[in-house]
Amino acid sequence: MIKVINAFLVMTVLVAAFFMYSLEHSTRGLERQIAKLKTGINDERETIKLLDAEWSSLTRPDRLQKMAEEQLKLQPVKATQIISVAEIASKIPDTPVIKLDDNTADPIGVILEKMQ
Amino acid sequence: MMVDTAQVGSQKLAGQNRIRLVSMIFSAFFLMIAVQLGKLTLMHKVDAVGDVVLREQSMPRPDIVDRNGQVMATDIEVSSLFVDPRKISDVDEAVELLTATLPELNAKSLKEKLLKPGKAFVWLKRQTNAEERDAVYNLGIPGVAYVNERKRVYPMGRLAAHTVGYVDVDTKGIAGIEKYLDDQGALYTASLSEPESHTTYPAQLSMDMRVQHAVTDEVSKAVIKFKAKSGGGIILDTETGEIVALASLPDYNPNAEDKHLTSDQQNKLTSGVYELGSVIKAVTFAMAFDYGVMTMTSKYDASHPLVIGNARISDFHAQRRVLTVPEVFTNSSNIGTAKMALQVGLEGHHEFLQRVGFMDRLVTEVPESAKPLLPRHWSKLSSATAAFGHGFAVQPLQGLSVISDLINGGMSIPPTFLKRTKEDAAALAHRIVKPETSEKMRYLFRLNVTDGTASKADVIGYRVGGKTGTAEKVIGGRYSKTKVLATFIGAFPMEKPRYAIFVMLDEPQAIPGTYGFQTAGWNAVPTAAAIIERVAPMLGITPQFTPEDLAKLAKQAKTGTTEKKHG
Repeated sequence: MIKVINAFLVMTVLVAAFFMYSLEHSTRGLERQIAKLKTGINDERETIKLLDAEWSSLTRPDRLQKMAEEQLKLQPVKATQIISVAEIASKIPDTPVIKLDDNTADPIGVILEKMQ
Repeated sequence: MMVDTAQVGSQKLAGQNRIRLVSMIFSAFFLMIAVQLGKLTLMHKVDAVGDVVLREQSMPRPDIVDRNGQVMATDIEVSSLFVDPRKISDVDEAVELLTATLPELNAKSLKEKLLKPGKAFVWLKRQTNAEERDAVYNLGIPGVAYVNERKRVYPMGRLAAHTVGYVDVDTKGIAGIEKYLDDQGALYTASLSEPESHTTYPAQLSMDMRVQHAVTDEVSKAVIKFKAKSGGGIILDTETGEIVALASLPDYNPNAEDKHLTSDQQNKLTSGVYELGSVIKAVTFAMAFDYGVMTMTSKYDASHPLVIGNARISDFHAQRRVLTVPEVFTNSSNIGTAKMALQVGLEGHHEFLQRVGFMDRLVTEVPESAKPLLPRHWSKLSSATAAFGHGFAVQPLQGLSVISDLINGGMSIPPTFLKRTKEDAAALAHRIVKPETSEKMRYLFRLNVTDGTASKADVIGYRVGGKTGTAEKVIGGRYSKTKVLATFIGAFPMEKPRYAIFVMLDEPQAIPGTYGFQTAGWNAVPTAAAIIERVAPMLGITPQFTPEDLAKLAKQAKTGTTEKKHG
């Protein structure tokens, strides 16, 4: 009887030891993964910061102004060009400028051509 | 024999008892371990404290962003290379290799440093990029190593450099908001940090970079056009006290390694004090209204210079007649304004200046702030001259802030460089003048633009109001006739001012377009108009047109077409 119990206990110890070992092993694996992910997140954060700084530097108002002056024919907005939402209704033309149901031509393209 | 067996039996019994005792002790012991184990693994929650303690990093420095979230200052990772000279076997070879990879190193001085006995640490190059670091590291010189550091960069460059400030090589703030984050604002900085995730929220300024650029651009154009020594412009939110833009020219590049700032490059708008001249008259008017010694219909005799002791006060735009209150304002009469101050009396005048805050240093987040310069003896003469802005000098920002308080309904709101809500501003505000006084000041400011010295500030659609000032500069203890400081303080839209504007030009010259004048009406005022025209749409001010505006527009359209015909 005692032998059976002893054998059972030895088996239990072995099984438990194996279980514990594999658990620890997988924990270490997970820890490594966490560390790796954390470094990855940090690297990404650094990259985001760098890109943010770059974006900010590229969208500097003085740079945009210089480019706009060179490339686009734009002028500062005059007060007379601003109207309120209520006034918009009165400025809509009676016949639509763009005929969307006209499938034959590219209606917006025609307007753009006219503008040039 | 029987005795023997009995003895053996009792011995056996004693042995069994001992075994039982031992096994009981053992099982109790194991039980204890099991209970403890169970308690630790099942009941006890592991907190994250241990994780944070392990990483001994300091909290990252907060970024600085403008009110729309555009980055103005941020940290990027760089490496600093250093060397332990004791580990180098062949100094000559090491110096040769290092100077070949880092051409900016001086071979002679580096060698000297490396050969100095007992030295264990020499910086090779600080804040280098990853490629350079790898190149040096891969040379394989023993003793060369690097540490990762953080470097502060300012993507906006010169824009708003005076407000943002800058840091030294150890990323400690030494000017502007950067200094504030380290010194007085340490509490604020701490509130931005998020220790759990090891991140910090950015410090959000009240400034708008688009508006800032428009102000900088127009002021720099004016400085060139009028050949001024320097210039400045501020836009202040009258309801919240937020400084939306503040440009002081000449400025500097905060990214430069050696800045060597000259005194010209300082932030003149907060760290300098100036006699703002006639714009200060607005304060005297508000005082006379508020004490009730003057009404809109009062009259002041400006036909003769005012004589106090052996000093004479006369007018620049002399009218030599009796002026009404609006006329005193629009003609900027020194005599009339001085008489108002005398009417109020010495004590009243002093008390009012104290109340609006001109007696104390204006303190904002930006640490560079100057104390007002006031007359040393408060006499009848100094009161009369202070009434029109002579003999007392303040920070331009303080001047604008006080005028803004006088026309925003009479509430004093401390100006700030950090974003602030209306509710927060209301909690900080306190009344300095009656709402009726403020109402009258608005009327006078608007009148001065429609019919007075600031007529060139009338940007159609935005109902601008303002007061000009042309202060003669004190050169060697005397007022100079040729060197002036031209200022303009205004606000828009005048029926309920939302933004106050300040423009200053230091020593503007008369140019052909100004008919020989160097007064503010010809230089600072048109500059302010150009700024308002550009920034009002960005600030969301809805244009409205009065009948006079429409008439002006029609006239402009007419002349515009005739010009085309001629062209």
